[in-house]
Amino acid sequence: MTDLFLLAVYIFLFPGFLFLLAAALFFQYLDRKIAARMQHRVGPPLLQPLADLIKVLGKEVITPDGVDISAFDFAPLLALASAMTAFLYIPVIGPSPLAFSGDLVLVLYLLVLPTLILFVMGWLSRNIFACMGGLRTVTQLFIYEVPFFLVMLSPAIMAGSWSVSAIVSWQQARPWLLVLQPIGFVIALIALQAKLERTPFDIPEAETEIVAGPWTEMTGHRLAIMELSFDVSLVTGSALIVALFMGGPDLPWIIPSPWLAGLAGFLVFFGKVLFILFILASIKVATGRIRLDQLNDYGWKYIAGAAILQVAIVLVMNASQVPP
Amino acid sequence: MSVIREMLQNLLSKPFTIRYPAEKAPVPASFRGKVSIDDDRCIGCGKCSTVCPAQCIAMADNPREVTFRDKTMKRRKKPQVKLFKCIRCGLCERHCPADAIQVKPVLSETGTDREVVLT
Amino acid sequence: MAEVMIPIGPQHPALKEPVNFRVYADGERIVRLELDLSYNHRGIEKAAEQRNFIRVLPLLERVCGICSHAHATVFAKGIEEIMGLEIPRRAQYIRTIVAELERMHSHLLWLGVAAHEIGFNTLFMWTWRDREAVLDTLEEMTGNRVHYNMNEIGGTRLDLTPAQLEAAVKRLPALEDRIAQYVDMVSNQETMLLRFRGVGKMSREEALKYGVVGPTARASGIDYDVRRDDPYLVYDEIPWKVVTDSGGDVFGRTRVRIGELSQSLQMVRYCIENLPAGPVRADTPKAAPKGEVLSRYEAPRGELAHFIRTNGTDMVERVDIRTPTLANWTSVAMCLVNQNLADIPVIVAAIDPCLSCTSRITVVDTISGKEGSIPWGELGRRCRARHGGGPLS
Repeated sequence: MTDLFLLAVYIFLFPGFLFLLAAALFFQYLDRKIAARMQHRVGPPLLQPLADLIKVLGKEVITPDGVDISAFDFAPLLALASAMTAFLYIPVIGPSPLAFSGDLVLVLYLLVLPTLILFVMGWLSRNIFACMGGLRTVTQLFIYEVPFFLVMLSPAIMAGSWSVSAIVSWQQARPWLLVLQPIGFVIALIALQAKLERTPFDIPEAETEIVAGPWTEMTGHRLAIMELSFDVSLVTGSALIVALFMGGPDLPWIIPSPWLAGLAGFLVFFGKVLFILFILASIKVATGRIRLDQLNDYGWKYIAGAAILQVAIVLVMNASQVPP
Repeated sequence: MSVIREMLQNLLSKPFTIRYPAEKAPVPASFRGKVSIDDDRCIGCGKCSTVCPAQCIAMADNPREVTFRDKTMKRRKKPQVKLFKCIRCGLCERHCPADAIQVKPVLSETGTDREVVLT
Repeated sequence: MAEVMIPIGPQHPALKEPVNFRVYADGERIVRLELDLSYNHRGIEKAAEQRNFIRVLPLLERVCGICSHAHATVFAKGIEEIMGLEIPRRAQYIRTIVAELERMHSHLLWLGVAAHEIGFNTLFMWTWRDREAVLDTLEEMTGNRVHYNMNEIGGTRLDLTPAQLEAAVKRLPALEDRIAQYVDMVSNQETMLLRFRGVGKMSREEALKYGVVGPTARASGIDYDVRRDDPYLVYDEIPWKVVTDSGGDVFGRTRVRIGELSQSLQMVRYCIENLPAGPVRADTPKAAPKGEVLSRYEAPRGELAHFIRTNGTDMVERVDIRTPTLANWTSVAMCLVNQNLADIPVIVAAIDPCLSCTSRITVVDTISGKEGSIPWGELGRRCRARHGGGPLS
């Protein structure tokens, strides 16, 4: 029974639903604050993302003519659910209790869903801007998803397991995969920025070109839930990169007391995720938006190329049995 | 590279924003803010009313004895300014022969009465 | 995908003012473009006919917020030409100082807007922060950040005090530094180069054919600047250079505008340091003799022309305003064909559009109550019908 109770706490309280919600809002605050300070502005106060969420939830819901209302309402919830579920498999204070062999594939699959649902929302909206935005989302998906999967594949090959928790444990006694696979780390960051549709890859949402892309006809709770799902994806994606490349919550020392170990592990994990967030925010601030055809060029030439190179290096290292 | 350097410099320094109302932006001396009419000086010539581009100055009966250029005279009228129509261009101040109507470098008050008139 | 009509405007986040582009696109490639201006028509030219020379200047200033001094100055200088009036040297220098400060603030604004159009909001924030220095200077000198109301027929409304001049000069070195940094940033920032280079390319012949003016023309190698080729104020006395570029694309226009920023800063510094003493107004007659004048001015966006006809009273009989943006719109429609949909805001922003300036024309049929515009061919037909088929007498 205690097991079930602890599992429920893990899923709904910490580090599941409630913690994830708070973390998503906190990360949005940090992202906006860092971006603002870099631009020499003040930035929002701490509770701003929460205030925004509550405000948008209460706004009037405007449904365009002829739109499938039940699908329109259900899809954002599905996106939020998948992003949140993906987080449960990532070690936060230690190996995830839900871990199983192959959960890396499940996490990656669940992280694709919000983007696909964004496309679906755009397609369902019966609006030319939303439709074009949806098409751009899917085109961008094809371009970055291949490198993203490949660079997530290389840690799995090197660690010899398809479970995120196992990869984290594998890094316990060895240097982080960040050091062993630097190309993979860089490509993972770039691909995550593209997945989250942040500058320079915010092509689907390009405000100055197609109004708001797939977000155009989303109002009220639909907008709030969908935005929240992307915020949660930011947390989940950063946590995934920390787990696969920076050793997750593991410390180089063993702390005797389990509670203290858990707390220390969590703090270390949080610090690492904040580091990733800082990098992502800096990329967002330092660049402008590129065009879809340019992304196509660069994506397939350099990003996918580098990802393939990384996988090849790992395979060679494995085959020649160079112990890392 | 200069972009990244500047980003990091900005991150570590105070924002450029003036945090109103704790800090206030300086108001320069030639700022055209609050309209004011000096009752002692106005001679009721109506020049301000004539030159106003927005035609927001009406001359209303307001007799009084005033001194102008070392001569006393009886003025008959005094301007009334519709404050919400005034565009604060400063032409009334520029053309007033008696230095009576001025657009002072003081921030105007706000209000909700659209028909408010300054006398 | 078959051809799809995407409405850009009249309300759109890319546009600062209402204009209607009906873009016919095949996927992401633009096939055709239909342009509809006139959403900002306010009847200023008609209103100007009912105001005397003192009252009309603030009205004409409000044709545009960013190039307000341009409209007021070109009109004042036109009336002074009809009256045969020489305004004092100090007044000319003051008008030039305000004009060049206006050019600086307009170009800094443009740089920010262009960066915003490509999603590079950081540069937008930084350029507008630096623009505050120029606006503070203008506020100290004239009393307002835009709509300076500095001109009157015969000179300027206010004189500049030594304190104001000193404060202005103190701000210039920091601005110079920032402008140099922007030159560096624009030439090296990857995403800006990717989005600006090769986009909206217009050759010199095409530019001449479409009649573009201002930095848009100078970026295509057309060496024409009204300040040098039809000098007014003190531009024939102070040292400065016309900035051109041979790229013809949006990147070239960016370089021209940043170059002009530097030149304007030098001009402001020179004028402040060499400001002659004297009065700032001349005695002016109340009415202007009968006459017609075409007064031209290099506004931040290009050649601004006011055609003024007076009839011996203290009001104009007709003022016709041809703004630079009006001249540049055709080039946008032509440049956009076969470009990417994502390039629309970039190419539109590259001419530095000011629709408040542009919307001077709308046609209202008082009998049927219909409004709209007249195509070029139809206009020719109507003119010929009215004037009996021969050349206009």
